[in-house]
Amino acid sequence: MEKKTGLIFFPAFDWAISPTHPEREERLLYTRDQIFEEGVMDLPQIREYAPRLASLHDIARVHFCVPRVQSQVTEAHLIAAGSALQLGDAVVSGEIKNGFAMVRPPGHHAMRTVHGNRGFCNINNEAVLVDYLRRRHGLKRIAIIDSDVHHGDGTQDIFYHDPDVLFISFHQDGRTIFPGTGFSHELGGPQAYGTTLNVPMPPGIGDETLEYIVDNLIVPVIKDFNPDFIINSAGQDNHYSDPLGSMRFTARGYADFTRKLNPDMAVLEGGYAIETALPYLNLAIILALARLDYSYVLEPDYWPGRFTENAERASKVHRTVDYLRDVWEKRNSADIDNIFGKGNFYQRKKFIYYDTDYIEEEQIEKVKKCSNCTGYLLVESRGERGYRAPVRIFAVTVPFSACEACQQEAYDAYHQAKKKEQYDYVYMQDKSLDTCLNYERDKNHEWSTEG
Amino acid sequence: MFIGIDVGGTFTDAVLLDRGCVRASAKVQTKEDLLSSLLEALDKAMKGVSGDLVERVVLSTTMITNLIVEKKYDPVGLILIPGPGLSHQHYQFNTGTYIIPGAMDYRGREIIPLRRQEMENAIMDLADDGYKNVAVVGKFSSRNNRHEKEVAARLRWNYPDCQVEMGHQVAGQLNFPRRVVSTMLTCATREKYEYFVDSVITALSKRGIDAPVFILKADGGTLPLPCSTRVPIETIFSGPAASTLGVQALTPPGETSVVVDIGGTTTDLALILSGSPLLASKGAAIDDYLTHVRALAVKSVPVGGDSIVERVGKEIIIYSERLGPPYCQGGPMPTPTDALRVLGLTRLGDEDRAREAMDSLGAPLGMSPGEAANKVCNLVIDTISAEIQLMFTQWEQEPAYRVWEVLEKRKERPSTVVGVGGGAAGFISQIAATLGAYPVIPPYAPVANAIGAAVALPTLEVTLRVDTEQGYYSIEEEGFQEALDDANFTEQQALDLASKWLGKRADKYGLNQRIEDVEIIRREVFNMVRNWVTTGKIYDIHVQTPRGILGHIGAGGEIK
Repeated sequence: MEKKTGLIFFPAFDWAISPTHPEREERLLYTRDQIFEEGVMDLPQIREYAPRLASLHDIARVHFCVPRVQSQVTEAHLIAAGSALQLGDAVVSGEIKNGFAMVRPPGHHAMRTVHGNRGFCNINNEAVLVDYLRRRHGLKRIAIIDSDVHHGDGTQDIFYHDPDVLFISFHQDGRTIFPGTGFSHELGGPQAYGTTLNVPMPPGIGDETLEYIVDNLIVPVIKDFNPDFIINSAGQDNHYSDPLGSMRFTARGYADFTRKLNPDMAVLEGGYAIETALPYLNLAIILALARLDYSYVLEPDYWPGRFTENAERASKVHRTVDYLRDVWEKRNSADIDNIFGKGNFYQRKKFIYYDTDYIEEEQIEKVKKCSNCTGYLLVESRGERGYRAPVRIFAVTVPFSACEACQQEAYDAYHQAKKKEQYDYVYMQDKSLDTCLNYERDKNHEWSTEG
Repeated sequence: MFIGIDVGGTFTDAVLLDRGCVRASAKVQTKEDLLSSLLEALDKAMKGVSGDLVERVVLSTTMITNLIVEKKYDPVGLILIPGPGLSHQHYQFNTGTYIIPGAMDYRGREIIPLRRQEMENAIMDLADDGYKNVAVVGKFSSRNNRHEKEVAARLRWNYPDCQVEMGHQVAGQLNFPRRVVSTMLTCATREKYEYFVDSVITALSKRGIDAPVFILKADGGTLPLPCSTRVPIETIFSGPAASTLGVQALTPPGETSVVVDIGGTTTDLALILSGSPLLASKGAAIDDYLTHVRALAVKSVPVGGDSIVERVGKEIIIYSERLGPPYCQGGPMPTPTDALRVLGLTRLGDEDRAREAMDSLGAPLGMSPGEAANKVCNLVIDTISAEIQLMFTQWEQEPAYRVWEVLEKRKERPSTVVGVGGGAAGFISQIAATLGAYPVIPPYAPVANAIGAAVALPTLEVTLRVDTEQGYYSIEEEGFQEALDDANFTEQQALDLASKWLGKRADKYGLNQRIEDVEIIRREVFNMVRNWVTTGKIYDIHVQTPRGILGHIGAGGEIK
């Protein structure tokens, strides 16, 4: 018999950001009703798993949580991330053919540095999964396709300089929706040029254009990239009834996308039409993953032909797709020095606003342009909450593939920073040794976690 | 005095309990005519005791299980209203099935109206095909039963003799396919079950017993026999429930134990965690059908004393079949019982024949009969121990939907392994050793089932769902729904309402026990927010009378 599709349904019925926030207990309630009433968990093609907790180290491997992991995560976060790891293990071991972590809270807006909650996210579930799969199971190349209406800026941030992670996001144009990023010129850093691809879409785009993006960009690029593992960051707010987004995708459109993408795993992200979209979308995606007939799944207020595509907007998307295809095909011959400038480091300045927690962060990110490895990363960040002194941190990341010279330089930078008065916290994230250090100036104390 | 009777496939057991002691017990062969075996066992256990001293009788029976497994019931036609969702290809239940248009959503709002003409056609076709029993089941009918009621009314109007069952009255939990099966099986077995109930009541009154009579359900609770005709399928698997409760009564309170009932062809396992039997997280499965019937978590392993053993190449293998009695008792093939006989762990059958059986297995592998017997025993022990471990692991890995549930997850291992049934004596101590637990073979083990029935208590539960935005509430177990126009309905009011319904159900079932202790199994409140304003609440509240047993069995009494 064909292998099963693994499901973890973790609706976190006892967790909310606040009582009336879209990210609250009720969000997956109707999804539960629908999939339980359909008897989905009894289908021979489905295997349900129990969630587990991610460890603090699993989080520290990916994020610089300020001041430490425990202060940014609730148990619900650890369970959501842990659920993704649980299914990841099952897929890699061959126990199941693919999996869907239908979990809350979501995570794709959580960046490498976490001063607080932004876009309903603290911890990036997909990123935690990616680094876990690489560390624990030795996978190398991983593709993440983000189908949320909001740009997956956190995921992009974490893998912007990582040539082994392909990140493709299609979403409503950042000029019209949170977080205001994800334009087609954001293509990855000098060490990973072309492995970040963004398709911003004007409001009102529907299934037909999604199909165009899938057929002409996503599927061929993934085929080229030839990843060991494909993750769908399965946001569902491109649906026509979503209160936050302005797009016109249907459950059928999402299911077709899932069937064509054929991901190893899907991890639930946003989607706030909790009654009109989520029950139907989640059901359709589960059926598509299990390769079952999803043609009977229909939103009650939908009829075929309800939406017609606006030709002008659609052609705008087609042009973006053409442009990105071109970038992808020519990425290896691109003039990197011309794009990013000469010198040993590439540096960019970032301003990040935490819309949920009202924090303003200023960040300088430096990546070492190394020809032997993907280069280490330095982050200097200052987080400001109106009512108290800003928190300043310095952080270093050593990538999985680090060369000896880069590793040495990275540790030097870490030790130097520990001596500097201006940093409250100094972090070292050594992915090559799977060791994370966290130095707190006030206590003159260094914590470490190891995998 | 209390009477417990277990009508099993092979034996019918009865016990008479007097102030917590087993005063008498009986074991007779189960005959074709259930009633006569029942009376025979009863008469033996009641010898010298007048019927008017009996305060209560509890029965457990495999009757309905057997009816279903052997398909000895009248065909049932299905009228299904699944609406959109899973492909209708999934709804094939090996019987005349008519799918008609119409749909409710998860909050009980009509999204597709019933189409009268297609409903009429389905009803006519069913009648033409000769169905006298019809089950009508709609998706989300527990949230809104209007479509089911409409179809049923039309059926009854056209064919007054037709027996009609509606899904929402049989099972209120979510899971449409399971509701279809539960409704179909209820419809299929009701008539025969009613006949059985009538004969039991008549027979008992002939013996001068007019005490209340109960039947044991799969979840270890009881129902008054006359009321149980509404839900015959609740009585499936009352046998394993009886043996589990029996062990609970025969062991000290609060223990974590595994119940191992080693029979001829199967070994039944059940768990008692910190003193209470573990309920399965999903409804019971029977004859390849998944139902909504709440049941104890029991598992049947296809290995027993009479399983046949064979040498294949250099391996010795146990099969799950039985080809008659063990070799030592004149059977055709070696069995685990023969191994026990060789090792001196049983006195059944002829020792020489047992040796002969083990020798035929072991000789080609250069093993003495004793070594072969050891090998066979170890195979049985390993198989059963592995299944026990698996049951614990599965219990630990059951899904959880709330943060506290995930954090609460316990890891527990048995402190005792309790053996009942024929093969228990030979294997229990070694199974226990494998699991690092103490072996226990309690007194009265041979009639543990009947003891379990005798000590079982009635249980009642109520699941209340309130949707204040839409202004209605429903009681899952009753298939009841009613308007509720109080927008400020509070959680406390919801709890009170659930308790009130628990009381109502107690009255309905003639349980004059006062509902003092109400256990809250689940209380959930969801705010419904529209445009950042709370517009209503959904309360999901599940209450029950405490589960438990009458008491633990002390010393005294004797087995006859």
